[in-house]
Amino acid sequence: MTVKSKSEKLGQGVGFERIRRITGYLVGTMDKWNDAKRAEERDRVKHGLNGNA
Amino acid sequence: MTQHIVSCAGSRLPLPQFPEKDRAKSMIQSIIKRDGRVVLYDQAKIAAAILRALEVSGDGNAADAARVANDVQRDLESQFSAQKAPDIEAIQDAVERQLMNHGFSSAAKAYILYRANRTRAREANTSLMKTIDEITNIDARVSDMKRDNANIDGNTAMGSMLQIGAAGAKAYNEIYLLRPEHAKAYREGDIHIHDFDFYSLTTTCCQIDILKLFHGGFSTGHGYLREPQSIQSYAALAAIAIQSNQNDQHGGQSIPNFDYGMAEGVAKTYRKAYLRLLKEAVEDRLDLDDANGDIKTIVYAAEAVCGETVRMENCAAFDATVSVGLVKKYGLTSAVADSLIARARKRALKKADRDTYQAMEGFVHNLNTMHSRAGAQTPFSSINYGTDTTPEGRMVIRNILLALEAGLGHGETCIFPIHIFKVKEGVNYNEGDPNYDLFRLSCRVSAKRLFPNYTFLDAPFNLQYYVPGRPETEVATMGCRTRVMGNVYDPSRQIAYSRGNLSFTSINLPRLAIEANGNEKLFYEKLEAMLELVTQQLLDRFEIQCNKHIYNYPFLMGQGVWLDSDHLTLRDDLREVLKHGTLSIGFIGLAETLTSLYGKHHGEGEDIQSKGIEILSFMRKFCDDKSQEMKMNITLLATPAEGLSGRFIRMDKKRYGKIKGVTDREYYTNSFHIPVWYPISVYDKIRLEGPYHALCNAGHISYVELDGDTARNVEAFETVVRHMHDCGVGYGSINHPVDRDPICGYVGIIGDVCPRCGRREGEEIAPERVEELRRMYPEMPAFQGIE
Repeated sequence: MTVKSKSEKLGQGVGFERIRRITGYLVGTMDKWNDAKRAEERDRVKHGLNGNA
Repeated sequence: MTQHIVSCAGSRLPLPQFPEKDRAKSMIQSIIKRDGRVVLYDQAKIAAAILRALEVSGDGNAADAARVANDVQRDLESQFSAQKAPDIEAIQDAVERQLMNHGFSSAAKAYILYRANRTRAREANTSLMKTIDEITNIDARVSDMKRDNANIDGNTAMGSMLQIGAAGAKAYNEIYLLRPEHAKAYREGDIHIHDFDFYSLTTTCCQIDILKLFHGGFSTGHGYLREPQSIQSYAALAAIAIQSNQNDQHGGQSIPNFDYGMAEGVAKTYRKAYLRLLKEAVEDRLDLDDANGDIKTIVYAAEAVCGETVRMENCAAFDATVSVGLVKKYGLTSAVADSLIARARKRALKKADRDTYQAMEGFVHNLNTMHSRAGAQTPFSSINYGTDTTPEGRMVIRNILLALEAGLGHGETCIFPIHIFKVKEGVNYNEGDPNYDLFRLSCRVSAKRLFPNYTFLDAPFNLQYYVPGRPETEVATMGCRTRVMGNVYDPSRQIAYSRGNLSFTSINLPRLAIEANGNEKLFYEKLEAMLELVTQQLLDRFEIQCNKHIYNYPFLMGQGVWLDSDHLTLRDDLREVLKHGTLSIGFIGLAETLTSLYGKHHGEGEDIQSKGIEILSFMRKFCDDKSQEMKMNITLLATPAEGLSGRFIRMDKKRYGKIKGVTDREYYTNSFHIPVWYPISVYDKIRLEGPYHALCNAGHISYVELDGDTARNVEAFETVVRHMHDCGVGYGSINHPVDRDPICGYVGIIGDVCPRCGRREGEEIAPERVEELRRMYPEMPAFQGIE
């Protein structure tokens, strides 16, 4: 049966989903973000609970 | 280029006649058209154009036109020949010259204007065709234009059709509907007119009062639906209401009273279950075949006596009355009757809870899969909840949160709807408040799924409208941030329900600062002029919107969703009812504006923070003054800029070059936010952004970015929400990374390697490993063809 050969390739070419918020809405993949928003997402820094950053 | 000689069809107008010999004499035999074709020279056509200009200006007649045309021919002959044909531009230049020579100066002016208009239209056509060409042929992954809105898939047939329609509408609107000064400001990036493709068609958004809509049933425009009778149908119809309204407006759609609305459905489900289970309990106890009619009689009588229907909580007399009824009818002891009622209640509660969870699960699934706009999008939807303290309302809130926490079929995080939890002291904020447990639950869910966001009813600018027991006075948020509460047009209707934004336009704030070149006074002058221009443009658009009728919006207006639209007749225009909505002036890049004017942004010094507040206070006062003057709702918006984040700065970089801290990135900072790249603590960010929420009455949001570990610490998460509450934030949300490996189903933070299955992006894993993982994590997604 071909089942085994299929299962051997499980995951091949499959990426991770990365959910992010864009102007209030969530978006499941950044593939569809425009260039400026992608740059903004890349630049985002985390905000620490204490002191500066 | 291949050139074809095409015979030139004569003009259809009765025109000045030229004898054959004139043409024979002419040295000009042919002309070159714009598309490169060579056609026969026809002096009659030139004369016709001249005559039109003369007629428009009232300058002359056909004989004059013929004389000017003769001179145009001589003019051309002096530059061209049979071997060297003139092109259209050269002929038009000659016409302009000869009109002037003959003293027809106003006709010349009319002709020049006509030429300029034609050129603009032609350029728009060309650029429109180029745009459509890009939409048709280029992959969205390499076309930034096709990714303008991240929730539209520009690669699909319907997504492309939507984009082509939008491109055509924009080209038309700019040339035919905008005043030249507005078109210029828009084209050159002084302002951005949002949803410009819908300029002449509709308004932005509306808070749908779901209870009012359901009472008596409603029509979607494609069919009539009866009033729903169970929580499942309430939830299904709520999704349909959002879908229907999304087809009438271009913005997001929201339900302000999701808990209050769905609670009614839960009550109906509970009542039905109570009746059935009590009947079954009595039948079992007394071995009866059918007690249906008798039980109904007894319960209906109790409802009549007590003046209330069966609910999860009834007055003390209710069960006693039913009990007496059972005793009388069936000769049971009171103790037995009471226990049958108690059992029926317990089981009905369980049944209602289960049904509510399934209904909420279905609702979330529906909103993530249903189509709008011919399948190009799922509707942009939001639901507000958190303050209904009835047992039914609480059941709705708990179950929608649990459904959100569980995720979609394979545990995916739901993209829609936006969940907004309404925080209110005395209701759910403090320990001991009736819904405090649900607030805590919301923190747990948001720490996992990014929703809900939080809106704060205690912020002074929200609290001023709040009337206990009247949910319509609780602020609700729409889509990404829009807020509609105050009502200058009708101060007796300062409510969230059935209202929304009509349109909004944003100002390129950093450009005004760059142009002012550090001169504060000049900046404010420029700002005021720009506020005037935007107001005028919003009012122009309002005029177009007013001239529509209820039949243009079969759901929004036809079903009475919009405030007072149920009083309209088919003949009425929409002017008066639309005045309940808002016209909003938005902005982008306060941070870059401050940096340009003062050398630093508002995260870098308290003095700059007060400068930032000064600028927005100035803008808000302008809006308030205009509102009073017009008796309309003109409001200040912290623009949700998606497409806009890169548009202005691209133009400004070209115009002014790279200015440090101003134009040196790919985006302007959203609204009044502290720049996303600036290191700052959660507490300072919220504290600094809080005051701007009070100023931006058309909508606002603050985000903080937490790392994954902090976000998953529910105590820490709640502390952040409480800090927002205390700093006067109106609407806030907490971002943290939510990644998922679709192969092993892990949800959390994934760096390069999935912490559960150990694969890298794109890597395969062995079937044995899958089996092993499945034993450990039974919720793992199954894949067809594997087992």
